[in-house]
Amino acid sequence: MKLSVSQRLWVSGVAAFIGIGSLVVVGWYSSNTVSHALANSQTIDVIDKQVNDLRFANEEIRLASMDVIIDRASKAVTAERKTTLEENTKFLKSGVSAVESFSKSAGLNIDIAKLSADVDDIVKASNERLPALVAGGAPDAEFDKIDDDIDAAGGRIKTVLDVVAKATSEAQTHEVDTAVAQSQQSAVLQFLIGAVAVILASGLIAWQSRNIMKGLNAVRRSMNRIAEGDIATSVDGTQRLDEIGEIARVADILRKATVEKDRAEAAAHEARLSVDRERTENETERQRDEEEIRRCVTILAGGLARLAEGDLTQQIDDPFRADLERLRQDYNAAVTRLSTVIGNITDQSSSIHSSSVQIRMAADDLAKRTEQQAASLEETSSALEQITITMRGSTSKAEEAGAMVEGTKAQAEKSTAVVREAMQAMERIESASAEIGKIINVIDEIAFQTNLLALNAGVEAARAGEAGKGFAVVAQEVRELANRAATAAKDIKQLVARSGAEVQTGAELVTATGQALRAIGADVVKINEHMISIVNAAREQNAGLAEINTAIGQMDHVTQQNAAMVEQTNAACQTLNEDTTRLENVISQFRTRLGMPAGSHAERPVVRANTPIPPRAPVVSTGFKPAVAPAQPGQRARTSPAQKLMGRLENAFGGAPAKSTLQSSGQRASTQASPSTDQWEEF
Amino acid sequence: MTNVIKQSGAYLEIVSFHLGEQEFCIDIMAIREIRGWAPVTPMPHTPRYVLGLINLRGAVIPVIDMACRLGMPMTEPSERSAIIVTDIKGKLVGLLVEQVSDMMSIKAEDLQPAPEIIPEAQRAFCRGIVALEKNMVCFLNLDTVIADELTMAA
Repeated sequence: MKLSVSQRLWVSGVAAFIGIGSLVVVGWYSSNTVSHALANSQTIDVIDKQVNDLRFANEEIRLASMDVIIDRASKAVTAERKTTLEENTKFLKSGVSAVESFSKSAGLNIDIAKLSADVDDIVKASNERLPALVAGGAPDAEFDKIDDDIDAAGGRIKTVLDVVAKATSEAQTHEVDTAVAQSQQSAVLQFLIGAVAVILASGLIAWQSRNIMKGLNAVRRSMNRIAEGDIATSVDGTQRLDEIGEIARVADILRKATVEKDRAEAAAHEARLSVDRERTENETERQRDEEEIRRCVTILAGGLARLAEGDLTQQIDDPFRADLERLRQDYNAAVTRLSTVIGNITDQSSSIHSSSVQIRMAADDLAKRTEQQAASLEETSSALEQITITMRGSTSKAEEAGAMVEGTKAQAEKSTAVVREAMQAMERIESASAEIGKIINVIDEIAFQTNLLALNAGVEAARAGEAGKGFAVVAQEVRELANRAATAAKDIKQLVARSGAEVQTGAELVTATGQALRAIGADVVKINEHMISIVNAAREQNAGLAEINTAIGQMDHVTQQNAAMVEQTNAACQTLNEDTTRLENVISQFRTRLGMPAGSHAERPVVRANTPIPPRAPVVSTGFKPAVAPAQPGQRARTSPAQKLMGRLENAFGGAPAKSTLQSSGQRASTQASPSTDQWEEF
Repeated sequence: MTNVIKQSGAYLEIVSFHLGEQEFCIDIMAIREIRGWAPVTPMPHTPRYVLGLINLRGAVIPVIDMACRLGMPMTEPSERSAIIVTDIKGKLVGLLVEQVSDMMSIKAEDLQPAPEIIPEAQRAFCRGIVALEKNMVCFLNLDTVIADELTMAA
């Protein structure tokens, strides 16, 4: 059970409270019952007394009446007796109602009406008739009679009251017994409940207190340990969920905090000691460093001064102190690097020299290739002309094929008409066959009728007896003829039916032929469409060839520009050479480790010596093309092949001969007008 | 047609005809005439085999479907069917047959009686059996065939 301490105490308290509460409840209930029983017995006691008084009053009346009768000689009733009679009768009368109520509640079987009547009788007799008799001096018989009446009534009343008195005493005894029994029972019950409550409460308290004490003792032991200085061991009971667990956890937190604090203090002390040691060491270091730095600066200054004079051979060999060693190394590296760079520049400048010569040679090659390109353009142009001629031929063939297709189409349509006629002929044959069938039917009918006639003739002949014998023979012959006619008719009918079937087949074949011809017609139309598209394609190809022509013209133009570019390149090479010489002069100011001025390096590249730049027309920086090409041996001026090609192409396509002639003539004119532009020179 | 009509007491002149697959014959002397099929006028309340009446040159005569009368399926009349007009005890009766096949004369002794195993009532229809080379022909007794019909008509 995980309960806090207060909950545990509460549980014990509530158990005790429940025990005491049940004791109180039982006591209250039993005392209630007993007091009720006692109250009942008191009430009954009052009634009992009243009944006894009534009995006494009854006797009083009887005795007083008897006294009056005995003293009848006095002819008067004494006032004392009269008062006694009146009081007692009144009391008796008033007691009837009390008797009635008690007998009803006690369940007694008493005739109240009779009792009341008897009481009335005795009251009347003692209070009215007796004084009257006494006063009147009545005879003894009268007195005897009244005495009997009063005795009888009094006796009856007495009997009733005895019964009631007995009942009241019994009821009283019963109530007292009830009260005694109830009180005993409650005493036993209270004792039992009390015993159970005490056992339960003491058990709970013992259990809870042992539990609490166990937790508290564990915490106390742990805290004692901490107080004695053992902070390494952890506190017990921290896992408990009640207040004791909480105390244990707090104590544990305090323990951990103490441990942390001790550790921090030890670390701080350690740090302080090391700082002091370092400070003293640093002082001596610094003085040594200052001297060293001074020495290094002096050496470095000397090196830099030599470097400024262009001497790249000097290195600083004396090592500097550790942190300045980097400076020395960097200086040495810079000097070495500079020396290498200067050397490299010297090498490169000579290399540039040789490169410029190579560029010159390359430009020459380029010039030759440009010429080759021009020749190729010429060949292309002639090939294009061939293509154009072929194209024209194929176009005309395609058109021819289109015309043939038209003819084929007409033929196919004509064949369709023929087929239609054949179909009609077939139908006519069919109807003729039907006619023949009808005629055959008529012949058959005639044969049948003839047969019947012959039969009748035979019958008649038989009836004629001997005389008709010859006639019978004739009739028989006629019948046979009729039968043959019928057989022949049947054969013809079969033949006609067969020929009808053949005609049917023929008609189907003709129909199939018609359909095939129609399909051919449709295909022919398609072929015609294809031919038309082929012709269109040929025309488009013509247009394409014209575009190719234009492209070749552009290529010619570009080739000329390329030639100009080669010229420019040559000029640039010259400038480059001069610049290289200047660069070498500048570099010669430096002395490198190789022990000679950088500029003294190298003779000129071999290329330069062996292949001097051929004498050219002086380079003009503003114009890229020489005004007039120098006439060189082995060279001939010729018209641009590209231009020639264009002219040829235009002739070949011949779409607009007049225009092409005009253009070519214009071209020719321009060629004559400016021979310098059409000169196909080699650079 | 090899048969020859002979006017001899020992010979019987007969006319044979087809009813379905079977062949029957009757005495030629009972025949008044043979004619082609013509539509008949049906008569109410007559047996199924009485097809109706026809007009034969002013004389009204009944027509009987012979096939039906002999207990076979009804004949389907066509243009090639024939009506044999017979004279039975002075009354004219038309017999519908499918096809008149032949006229022939047979010897009287060729006519063999019907087998006795057949009950009397049925045997009365048949005067005998004519055994030919190819097939057998039942010689009908017209008196029995038409007797009931005549009584009804009377």
